[in-house]
Amino acid sequence: MSSTVPTLSVAPATEPRRVWKRPPSAFILGAIITAGFLLAAIAPGLLAPYDPLAFDYDNLQVGPGAAHWFGTDNFGRDVLSRIIWASRIDIQIALFCTIPPLLIGTAVGSLVGYYGGIADTIFGRIVDLVITFPFIVLVIAIVAVLGPGLVNVYIAVTSVGWVFYARLVRSQVMVLRQADFAAAGQVMGYSAARIIFRHLLPNAMTAVIVYWMTDMALDILLGSSLGYLGLGAQPPTAEWGVLVSDGKNFMDTAWWMTVFPGAAIVVCGTGLSLLGDGVADLLAVRR
Amino acid sequence: MLARIPGRLLQIIPTLILIGVVVFVLLRLLPGDPASALLGNRATPESLARINAQMGFDKPIWVQFLLFLGRLAHGDLGVSVTERIPVTRVILQRLPVTLCLVGFAAVIALVLALPLAFVAALRQNRLPDLALRGLFQIGLSSPVFYIGLLLLGFLGARLHWFPVGGLGQGFWGAVYHLILPAFTLALSLAAVLMRNLRSAIIGVLRADYVDFARAKGITPWRVLTGHVLRNSLITTVALFGLNIGVLLGNSVITENVFAVPGIGGLLVDAIFGRDYPVVQGVTLVLAVLVSLVFLATDLMESWLDPRLHA
Amino acid sequence: MRAPLLLLRGLQTTLATDNGALTVVDGVDLDVREGEILGLVGESGSGKSMTLRSILRLIRPPGRVSGEILWRGRDLVPLREPEMRAIRGREIGMIFQEPMTALNPVLSVGRQILENLRAHTDLGRTARRNRTVELLDLVGIPAAAQRVNDYPHQFSGGMRQRAMIAIALASNPSLLLADEPTTALDVTIQDQILKLLLRLRETLGMAVILVTHDLGVVAQSCDRVAVMYAGRVAEIGEVSAVFAAPRHAYTLGLLQSVPDARRIRQALRPIGGAPPPPGTVGDRCAFIPRCDFATAACEVRRPPLISIGGGRLAACVHGDRLQQAEWAA
Repeated sequence: MSSTVPTLSVAPATEPRRVWKRPPSAFILGAIITAGFLLAAIAPGLLAPYDPLAFDYDNLQVGPGAAHWFGTDNFGRDVLSRIIWASRIDIQIALFCTIPPLLIGTAVGSLVGYYGGIADTIFGRIVDLVITFPFIVLVIAIVAVLGPGLVNVYIAVTSVGWVFYARLVRSQVMVLRQADFAAAGQVMGYSAARIIFRHLLPNAMTAVIVYWMTDMALDILLGSSLGYLGLGAQPPTAEWGVLVSDGKNFMDTAWWMTVFPGAAIVVCGTGLSLLGDGVADLLAVRR
Repeated sequence: MLARIPGRLLQIIPTLILIGVVVFVLLRLLPGDPASALLGNRATPESLARINAQMGFDKPIWVQFLLFLGRLAHGDLGVSVTERIPVTRVILQRLPVTLCLVGFAAVIALVLALPLAFVAALRQNRLPDLALRGLFQIGLSSPVFYIGLLLLGFLGARLHWFPVGGLGQGFWGAVYHLILPAFTLALSLAAVLMRNLRSAIIGVLRADYVDFARAKGITPWRVLTGHVLRNSLITTVALFGLNIGVLLGNSVITENVFAVPGIGGLLVDAIFGRDYPVVQGVTLVLAVLVSLVFLATDLMESWLDPRLHA
Repeated sequence: MRAPLLLLRGLQTTLATDNGALTVVDGVDLDVREGEILGLVGESGSGKSMTLRSILRLIRPPGRVSGEILWRGRDLVPLREPEMRAIRGREIGMIFQEPMTALNPVLSVGRQILENLRAHTDLGRTARRNRTVELLDLVGIPAAAQRVNDYPHQFSGGMRQRAMIAIALASNPSLLLADEPTTALDVTIQDQILKLLLRLRETLGMAVILVTHDLGVVAQSCDRVAVMYAGRVAEIGEVSAVFAAPRHAYTLGLLQSVPDARRIRQALRPIGGAPPPPGTVGDRCAFIPRCDFATAACEVRRPPLISIGGGRLAACVHGDRLQQAEWAA
């Protein structure tokens, strides 16, 4: 069977817990990958060997090699450089698709969780409704109405995504509100704002941050999927999904145009979720 | 058990109405007046007037909404702008394909996830577990369109093992043509299921009742099938319900990659054709599908778990 | 004197944990006689429950059991799994502390009994069915025939414990390992379950090892008692004799730490400190840090369990000095 801990608690409860575990290697790997993509997003010019937009008609669809590690596309542009420059857009997607929902959701969730009542009931209905629609379908429908483009993707994702953050914060706040320190705050006559911001939210944020990390990974998948469908970033903007879409008609002759940009999505997504899992572990231990 | 179904069906009516509200509001988000948005550059004064009268856009908004609900109740989703036939008919033509694809994918995902989750859980932190966890970590981070393109490019276009699109002839032709898309769709679901099932099974394996079952002297096989599997199935069903939205959403992309003539492909075509009644209709149908699957998994969960029997 | 049914010699159980290997049962010597109820007492973490699990070899790998487990003279430690399964449930039954978690919530109580019968008897379908009802009836579940198809959550706490006993007894084992069967129950229900165990012992002629941390339970229902400390047996003997004149400092401490119903007012003296974490004892008496009687002699080696007459054994250097101590006074 498995090497599980025994059901009987053999270790005395007073055994000192190590406060800070050594970060697991998966977490370190995730942090390195994420840092790499962040660097690419901040300073693509430093890392990219070529101009991502420069046509080179002498080197059309050259396979991966010493000169062009990931080959060149049908205009002779360096695929690696295009992937590096595209990081800028995809990291932007990860941030702009998550931070507005995080802020709105946290605000709504803490208010609803703290005050309850009618607002909470209405919020419950909104949650029921939002989880009924496939997230990507709802986003696609909103983008369809607003028109393709990244800004509209951000609007669409924010208008749906805040609900998930709010649901998370609400449940955290509702639990914490029962806790002693919140009650103590009330007894001492602190204002609701002070109790929420100084006492409840800092404690609820752990869960939010962990969710935020995985959400960023999911939004890169979503953003590149929309880019692939032609609903997200618009060509000639280099975005991983758009690059994959550009390459898909050349799968036979120039597979590297599809395989490498797609791999960038997979690696970046994996890095972010490993980092998210690691952060979840670390924060849980510290608590 | 069966007696609960009508009651539960009644319970989803409010949800359905709310879905209607969202879909109704969706179209009102269009910039400008809805009639010209619907017609786009095909708009002429006569056609605008016709659409306005036909859709009731000249009436107050709440009247419009009631009219919309009324039409909805009769299964009337409007007329496709590009194809000039009722949206309901367009969707009904394409819906079976999507249902087959999603059903097929769900079966593949379960067949993959359940045994592999068991292997990972039983070999916890050893090589098979670590390898599988690595694989499904990658699976979770792989966009469907990418998996689809890779399978299509290598197994389809290069090796010619599978057709590269369309639906083929007859039932078996359809099955053959749906293998790759279904597999693509299944992989992303399988990764989610495996990840969660693995931890659920590990939890069950630690449970006292597993030790108690072993203390009875029954075989490990019977402990696994009679106790662990039974309890893990409840989790599987619940997980399946939670992820049906993701599965349907991914089917939209998969159908696009493989040119499968289902409602997902229809949705994307409709967006680029500015065929808003179709966009509206497909969104609505997908949401209704999700709530029906929620209902089904809910009922199944309470059938599997005696603690939830009424 | 009745022949020993089960004999443990140097039983050692090591578990793998996140912090390395832990020896939780550290050389237990014990004997159980045909038809007797042996109480196994000690603080949490003293290795009582693990001793029970080790007897049935329910320790999961890479956890390991070594030493000798002589069941009717046959050593269970080297047995392979299929041979061990023929012992589990059939010859030695076991019940757990918390019936709510030890019964599978999604299987009816009847099915959980049938499982046992199917594994160990060649009864036919109807015979198994009848036996199931008979068993529920035997453990005092009213309207047994109607309740076989009920699920654990439909039973009350006490009834659940009875159902668990019925499952464990399905194939008529000669020894029942009872891991704190009354701890999770109300006092009145506790009493009923103990009476049930006593009655079953009489009617079925089986032996019971009753793990508990409640000395009252021992006094009420056990023939002999073994006191465990830090993964080892400290003292073993007839209940009346051990309680009247403990011969291990730890037993004395335990007895002084509980109220004695026969005396009206008394000073309770809990044992100070906590038991040593597994694996930290070394080669000396494990009780030294908490012992009022400890001397240099206790440091020499871990005192072995030796016979002190009257069928009693104790592992204490100062067993004689205890007799003059205040317990007697």
